[in-house]
Amino acid sequence: MITPGDVFVILVTSGSVLLIAWFFSRYLLAVFSNKRTRLDRVFGPVETVIYRIAGVNPYEEMGWKSYLKALLYLNAFEAIIAFLILMFQGSLPLNPMHFPDVSWSLSFNTALSFSSNTNLQHYNGGSTLSYLSQMASIQFLQFTSAATGLCVAVAVFRGIIGKTRGLGNFYVDYTRSIVRVLIPLSGIAALILVFLSVPQSLNGYAILHTLQAGASEVVKVGPIASLDAIMQLGTNGGGYFGTNAANPLANPNQVTNLFLLGLMMLLPTSVLFLFGRMAGSMKEGRTLIIASYSLYFIDIAIALIPVTQIAAGMEVRFGSASSVIWTVTSTSFTTGSMNGNLSAYDPLVILAAMFGMIIQATPGGIGVGAMYMLMYVIMAVFIVGLMAGRTPEYLGTKINASDVRLAVIAFLSHPIIILVPTVIAFAIGAQRAAGLGTGPIGFTEVFYEFTSAAANNGSDFLGSSGNTVFFNVSTGIVMWLGRFVPIAIMLAIAGNMVQRKRYASEALRTDSLTFTAVLIVAIFILAVLTFFPFLTLGPILSYLEGFKNGF
Amino acid sequence: MDSEPQFSITRIKNPRPKLYKITILKDSIRRLSPKMLYKNAVMFIVEICFLIVAVMAIDPSLIPKVSSPGERTFYLEVAIVLILTVWFSTLSDSIAEAQIKNTASTLRRIEKEVPARKVLSEDRREFANVTSKQLKKGDLLLVRKGEVVPIDCEVIEGIAMVDESLLTGESANVRKSSGDTVLGGSVITTDSIVARVSVNPSETFLNKLIKLVESSSRPKTPNELAIAILLVGFTAIFTIIIISILALGVILDLGLDLSVLIALYVSLLPTTIGALLPAIGISGINRMSQNRIIIKSGKAIEAAGDTDSLLLDKTGTITRGSRTAIEFIPLGKHTKKDVGEAAFMSSWDDETPEGKSMVELAYREGLVPHEFAIIGRVKFEEFSASTRKSGASLEEPSDFILPKGGRDLLQRKRIRRKYDPDSNEDVIDIIKGAPDAIKQIVTSVPLNYDSIVDEAARNGDTIMTIAEGGEILGLIRLRDEVKPGVKSRISSVKNMGIKPVMITGDQEATASSISREVGIDEYVSRAKPETKYDLVKKEQARGRIVAMIGDGTNDAPALAASDVGIAMASGTEPAKEAANMVDLESNPAKIIDVVMMGKQILMTRGAVTTFSIANDVAKYFVIVPVMFAALPVLSGLNILHLSPHIAVISALIFNAIIIPALIPLALRGTAFRPQSAMRIFLKNVLVYGIGGVLLPFAGIAAIAFLIAHLAVI
Repeated sequence: MITPGDVFVILVTSGSVLLIAWFFSRYLLAVFSNKRTRLDRVFGPVETVIYRIAGVNPYEEMGWKSYLKALLYLNAFEAIIAFLILMFQGSLPLNPMHFPDVSWSLSFNTALSFSSNTNLQHYNGGSTLSYLSQMASIQFLQFTSAATGLCVAVAVFRGIIGKTRGLGNFYVDYTRSIVRVLIPLSGIAALILVFLSVPQSLNGYAILHTLQAGASEVVKVGPIASLDAIMQLGTNGGGYFGTNAANPLANPNQVTNLFLLGLMMLLPTSVLFLFGRMAGSMKEGRTLIIASYSLYFIDIAIALIPVTQIAAGMEVRFGSASSVIWTVTSTSFTTGSMNGNLSAYDPLVILAAMFGMIIQATPGGIGVGAMYMLMYVIMAVFIVGLMAGRTPEYLGTKINASDVRLAVIAFLSHPIIILVPTVIAFAIGAQRAAGLGTGPIGFTEVFYEFTSAAANNGSDFLGSSGNTVFFNVSTGIVMWLGRFVPIAIMLAIAGNMVQRKRYASEALRTDSLTFTAVLIVAIFILAVLTFFPFLTLGPILSYLEGFKNGF
Repeated sequence: MDSEPQFSITRIKNPRPKLYKITILKDSIRRLSPKMLYKNAVMFIVEICFLIVAVMAIDPSLIPKVSSPGERTFYLEVAIVLILTVWFSTLSDSIAEAQIKNTASTLRRIEKEVPARKVLSEDRREFANVTSKQLKKGDLLLVRKGEVVPIDCEVIEGIAMVDESLLTGESANVRKSSGDTVLGGSVITTDSIVARVSVNPSETFLNKLIKLVESSSRPKTPNELAIAILLVGFTAIFTIIIISILALGVILDLGLDLSVLIALYVSLLPTTIGALLPAIGISGINRMSQNRIIIKSGKAIEAAGDTDSLLLDKTGTITRGSRTAIEFIPLGKHTKKDVGEAAFMSSWDDETPEGKSMVELAYREGLVPHEFAIIGRVKFEEFSASTRKSGASLEEPSDFILPKGGRDLLQRKRIRRKYDPDSNEDVIDIIKGAPDAIKQIVTSVPLNYDSIVDEAARNGDTIMTIAEGGEILGLIRLRDEVKPGVKSRISSVKNMGIKPVMITGDQEATASSISREVGIDEYVSRAKPETKYDLVKKEQARGRIVAMIGDGTNDAPALAASDVGIAMASGTEPAKEAANMVDLESNPAKIIDVVMMGKQILMTRGAVTTFSIANDVAKYFVIVPVMFAALPVLSGLNILHLSPHIAVISALIFNAIIIPALIPLALRGTAFRPQSAMRIFLKNVLVYGIGGVLLPFAGIAAIAFLIAHLAVI
């Protein structure tokens, strides 16, 4: 049941996020349009040094192919570094707890997971990873993958808007994303979190001697606040602990809970405003924002239909509604951080969570959410736009057969990389190794695993029980395909559009509320209906079978 | 000219298409062959599905695990509905093809084999009687009065009136002289001409055009191509879904029946648009052809729908192209009667439209000179195009009555100025002409003559001065009248967000007055021939898609540069080559209809596509709940509460019959009024989008009700 209190929480969080994002997008515009700002004096020299060390020419304008190539090489390079650190963490410094090397398949999975902004965790961070691994592979990738997302968004925006010659310069976008956006923001956020009593330390785990004689408890502290900040800000979701934001150290109270919630919504929302600003029409941005937030609210409404009881796996600190809202928000923004255990929730909450990961644009992950929204816009404009009696156009450029082909392939890649491995998992009985059956619960958990991996969300049922060679390798591949195939295709669309002729008038006004409404319905029909039979076999079946709580 | 503001786009002028039912039936069945069907991906897959289910119906044990022997009747039913679905699709193709063949044959009837008289000697004395098929390019022909022009040729000697009504539907004869093109199939009504054949019989202009219309290897238009890709994409998505369900159903033992799964698959596939897409394209070309507009490329139809700027020639498109006298203005001591009578007499043998209109105006206002009342009835001497004169002789004196309506008769027959041919002396010296010119000739000029003339000409009218015996009598005000219906069409065009631009060689004042009258905001006055090309380029540089119509050689560059160029059949060959459409009726105002038809075709495609995809919602809800026999709990989703067999068959039947139900829509196009694009869009979204979601629920429920009550299953 939706209570006035829930509505209040949702409205206050969304409202303040939208307000801050509106302002912040102006800063983003300055960052990515390379305008001179007062902050150049601070960041400029840092960036110049980076360009010089890396040997890149920041004035080079890239086409989609070179932009994509640079992006892929860099991400692959970073993933390999992370993989090696994990593989050999036992022999590397900053390992005060003396954790052994991570297995190859788990290292593979973890490296791909964090480099693809997924943060699917088949391990228990607090008892598996050294400080070096936490910082140099996990936290490092959380910055770089978030930066990659921002780059993709601005490059795709530039192409579709078509005011520039090329898609920009990847190295410049990337450096600026990190130097001017992510580091300052996460620094501020981490300080606020520390202020809100989240630990930040490099001094090994604290041993707490309890009142009980002789008994002691290990308090797993570490650089938690800084990780919390970037995990939410970059819609990463991979927490310091396996229990993620349910851990009282990572998310101590209601205030941090709301703060972290808002933090994960901030950048994806700002990027949507940025689109309007770059297009020179806030109304075009409005279409994307209303569409994605409407879908988000629909998700929350679905999740709040059942009365969710506080059950095993949920945090009494936050209460049921707050936990449900977190879960839906975390999947809608494809962050994947959790403040409760998925198994505790009503099937409808899981259904709502899956909607977010199926659509991926509600508003989706940092950068890529906006990119998926544009993919839907292109498809919707093409399908319904003809009904205005004109060849469909978006921002003055005609949608041609090649755009439709690419958008459909991008759209198609999502069900393929979810369904094929799900079927394979059951066909070879791989789910048994993770302790799952073939009923609706087992199906839901496996289906959710791959959906989460493909959507680069990272929340999952399996957790460390997914640490089998099959799931490590399969989800690893799915995460990379789910990340970079759509990115490559959308960059290609943007690259094709950037130099295309722009027409002065358009019949279908994409900045109108009519179109926004049509877009919402179209996304729902396109995305949700594609998965309807599978949702039926999973959460819907569970719901109909009368499961109230728990999987 | 119709004064209807609405666009009656489907104007079937041709005899009603004779759809040879048996031929269509045969053709549609022939098209079921996989060899022909494979081009249509969606329907090809439906046919494969039919084969699989047919195998299941024959022997379920061939496809184990997902079939049961007790269900053979059901499989048979499913198979029948599946093949019907495919057949409905091929049927729509066959009907569309039959229609266009019919239109083509109507057009072709114009070009029959006709006898020709070939000139053999230089002095034009020796002829050979041949048929049009035997002619070659460059041959010289003699065509006499009353004969049909055998082939497209260029007049090299003689002047004649030519009736092109068979080709263009225009009843008025056209004067053709040396250098003009006469089209094969037109009839010479006066005089005779010598002409040079300009094409070989197999490549006459008309023949080429008809071939274009008929050719089955029409290249797909850009949007058609994009929709086809979209459909392949959807097919791929549903294929993955269905295969995954099949695999999961078998692995997880969900009690799946392959025929039900196939039913879901086929229902989900965009069969409606897949089936009708080719027919929509063909019928679009057909509708254009019925309007005597031949499309040289399908792309042009779409570009027509996309038009932002419409370049309209003032003369012929907006106005009648001839100035008409509308007022006599007496000057000085003279009266209106003096001016009217003088105008009447001076214009009596003036064959120009201006002259005729003066006679008419005088007649209407009762200003016929007294002398005419006593003259006898005139006997008309037939007009000859070569002398450009006609005569009249007088019969016994009686009341002179101008023919009723005056104009009709005067149009073709001329009478001589001298109503008394015997007396040569008493020639009344009446002159009329431009105010400046007359001023030089006459002996006395009224006071303030110049300012009066300027004042009269202010609103764009043309002023003529009339003088008798060296004395100015007054002025005649002439106006190029706006064609009826043009104003409402212009406003429709503007409502749809298209900007009309008027182009004219007239003076600024005339141009601004006419454009204001019809509601055009932008115009170019004092245009030179090359202005059109510059204007096209300028509009395109501003990001607009330009449509224009032209006829002369000097229009060719502009026609080639514009996105939609319509040449008139009566125009020159280069113009026709450069254009991407040819209007056989040579009616410039038709450009507006072309734009409307382009929009209609785009809309029809979009509407059927949206409808087809929106349909899937209902089909999911009907079939998925009954799909897994092992999961009866899913019936909670079964909002229509149908039993499994009835649900599946009803959904399939609905899926099949929606195709023939929409064939008329595909062939006619969606109805629309010229409104703003967003209003049209909203209306279409409601009808085809929301309607597309809701209708199948009602339709499937109705079919299920019928089946249950007729106890077919």
